[in-house]
Amino acid sequence: MSGHHDVLVTGLGALTPLGATAADSWQALLDQRSGVRALPGDWPEDLPVRIAGTVTADPVDILGRVQARRLDRGEQLAVAAARQAMEDAGRPEVEPERLAVVVGTGIGGVLSTLGQNELYASSGMRRLSPHAVPMLMPNGPAAWVSLDLGARAGARAPVSACASGAEAIAVGLDLIRLGRADVVVAGGTEASVHPFIVAAFAQMKALSRDEGDPAGVSRPFDADRTGFVMAEGASVMVLERADFARARGARVYGALAGAAVNSSAHHISASDAEGQILAIRAALRDAELEPGDIGHVHAHATSTEGGDLAEADAIAKAVGDHPTVTATKSMTGHMLGASGAFGATSALLSVHHGVVPATRNLRTADPRIHLDVVAGENRTDRPAAALANSFGFGGHNVSLVVTRES
Amino acid sequence: MSTSPEHTKVVVTGLGTTTPLGGDVAATWDALLRGESGVRVLDDEPWTEEMPPVLGGRIKVEPGAGLDHQQRRRFSRSAQLAVTAAAEAWSDAGLDGASVSPHRVAVAVSAALGDMNAIINGWEALKERGWRRVPPMTVPMSMGNGSAAAVALMVDARVGVHTSVNACSSGTQALATAVELIRRGDADIVVAGGTEAPLHPLVLASFSAMRALSTRVDDPAAASRPFDADRDGMVLGEGSGILVLESERHARERGARIYAELAGVGITSDAYHMVQPDPEGAGSTLAVRAALKEAGVSPEEVAFYNANGTSTLPGDAAEAKTVRDVFGDGRGPAVTALKSMTGHTLGAAGALESIATILSLHHGLVPPTRNFERLDDGVALDVVHGSPLKLGDGQNIAVKNSFGFGGHNVALLFRSGTRSGRAGERTESSGG
Repeated sequence: MSGHHDVLVTGLGALTPLGATAADSWQALLDQRSGVRALPGDWPEDLPVRIAGTVTADPVDILGRVQARRLDRGEQLAVAAARQAMEDAGRPEVEPERLAVVVGTGIGGVLSTLGQNELYASSGMRRLSPHAVPMLMPNGPAAWVSLDLGARAGARAPVSACASGAEAIAVGLDLIRLGRADVVVAGGTEASVHPFIVAAFAQMKALSRDEGDPAGVSRPFDADRTGFVMAEGASVMVLERADFARARGARVYGALAGAAVNSSAHHISASDAEGQILAIRAALRDAELEPGDIGHVHAHATSTEGGDLAEADAIAKAVGDHPTVTATKSMTGHMLGASGAFGATSALLSVHHGVVPATRNLRTADPRIHLDVVAGENRTDRPAAALANSFGFGGHNVSLVVTRES
Repeated sequence: MSTSPEHTKVVVTGLGTTTPLGGDVAATWDALLRGESGVRVLDDEPWTEEMPPVLGGRIKVEPGAGLDHQQRRRFSRSAQLAVTAAAEAWSDAGLDGASVSPHRVAVAVSAALGDMNAIINGWEALKERGWRRVPPMTVPMSMGNGSAAAVALMVDARVGVHTSVNACSSGTQALATAVELIRRGDADIVVAGGTEAPLHPLVLASFSAMRALSTRVDDPAAASRPFDADRDGMVLGEGSGILVLESERHARERGARIYAELAGVGITSDAYHMVQPDPEGAGSTLAVRAALKEAGVSPEEVAFYNANGTSTLPGDAAEAKTVRDVFGDGRGPAVTALKSMTGHTLGAAGALESIATILSLHHGLVPPTRNFERLDDGVALDVVHGSPLKLGDGQNIAVKNSFGFGGHNVALLFRSGTRSGRAGERTESSGG
């Protein structure tokens, strides 16, 4: 196995429904805990969905009250996760002009948008916050992270629905390969657990309306799955040019060996196995790897029937049935714009630690799926290379390949 | 994503737009040359009585004629504007009915904000009539990537649908993304640009709360006045600008008309303040220099500079500092600021101003800056005003600069082939 090792991952940060850091969230995955919980008592009575994966750590504790007040919750989560990731990377000393930020989001500052709309409706325009515009713009998280870290090599915000966080990492890889930056802080964020967004997804019949134990509702690949569970969170990684990281003696989780982004141009919200197959194959080519080299796949698998089946088909055709497969949305719920970055984090940590977390809530595998989906016990495995898939409404397909540092 | 030679040339072969000045490229261009204004008081909206009088640039021609029933029902307003402009650009590039592999076509279309109309209408429906009345298309209509996805469906683009959001430099960033996709060899054709439909009470009120908007409601056509000493803020406008970018090889092979080459890109971030520009314009200066360097062009070769010029006090002053720093005090290129006519179309602005920049190179005419009467002492630029500037024969290089809230700077350098025609002279422009 060869593969590219010109871009390394040296730091991880995350605030997820499972934990306040990337390490805590990983441990929760290994413990097969669920971050999906009942929403608080003031959640509107008539909504058909009353659960979500919510972040319990308060980003205000990390940012301080003064700064936090100016930021949308999605921005707060992103800044907190980015600080963690840079800390975890040992705070690399890098010229501001060589440090870039790429933080995507699926929806943008919708909590602020709707909050400001309520203020506007009740009290007119004089009550609106002067910070409203930067709170609701989708580039807000990337911009705040660039301000917080002093990054001057550009602050970018790819928006590709549920693939945003993964696309951000693909853009980060490009920036380093093209010589535009030495270090890139890349990932995704989302904070849109709001009655309106939940209702809008429910109207698409995408969300599960199960009423039992919240922790058991998200069931990717299970024959009895009933739809996805909304979640919030942020996940960010520090990408570094390999020689830059080695020169400073950085601790390395692994390499970001390849990436591919394509589009299905097929339907505004339906999955398309053909486009996914092309994305997976292009990512493997980009990483200079063969399907046989991939030992593990972190699936996008949101727990919708159409989506899971299309992806299972794509994995089987483009990679084969040999890799272990896991779907951590069974525990986090679907963090939309953050999910792709967290999926890449999980795949990387599987490569790094040699263990694949089991898919929770998988009791009866859908008989139409012919993959080695890890369920029940975590699997001790030492995959040298892993694939992480992300797909988004709008026909966005993103595949990332991570490998052990050679 | 193999890194093919940096030297793959990227050219512009198609243009499409819908703006407060006109429903297509030809009408918009004519209005720009005449120095018309697309700004008025928004006094016939359902929400007019809710708020104090406010200015805006509504598009001149409502989308619809070119859209089918499904597109009208399922696409947000910003997506409808984008699809309208993209159809014109695609056709202008001679691609209607052409045989193009979908696996060589990408889309990069950005908006600064998701479509507020879809978000707020859906939310109001939920509050008033319950969740079952939320339109099922609310998610795709309100998501920031919705416009790009709509364009991709129309042109059948399979290489990727990209929406890189950079506030007011989003449209410019989309063109930069397109350049990367072509240079890397991923795509032969990229349909790229920006779109925005921000004339919603919440957006207007939010910009007003920042004190970013002009309050000159008694004289709407004079409200947007970039670089003028009496400017008092920006005017929001709606619209879309979409370009067809193509590898030069692909364009030549199919015998396409080439408007210009997009020869250089510079992208930086200020890391200075969330909404205030760095008064030194340092990040923006670096972006312009990077674009020049990438194109192998020296500052004195630049014939004109199409400004971000939003008509805010600090923004225009910082931009002037950038122009002086890059090009030298008193020796800079002619500057024009088209938001004086269109208003600020946010995510669309950089793309539709790029279209105007390309047409300037193509026709040898730079539109004047409207409402430029008295140069701000702190600005000290050679602002084209009064009537269009005629470019001389050899003047075939221009810079388009954009920046956005959040400190995003994106500079583009365009270069055209030589125009035939006589050497031009400036026609009573050159203020200062």
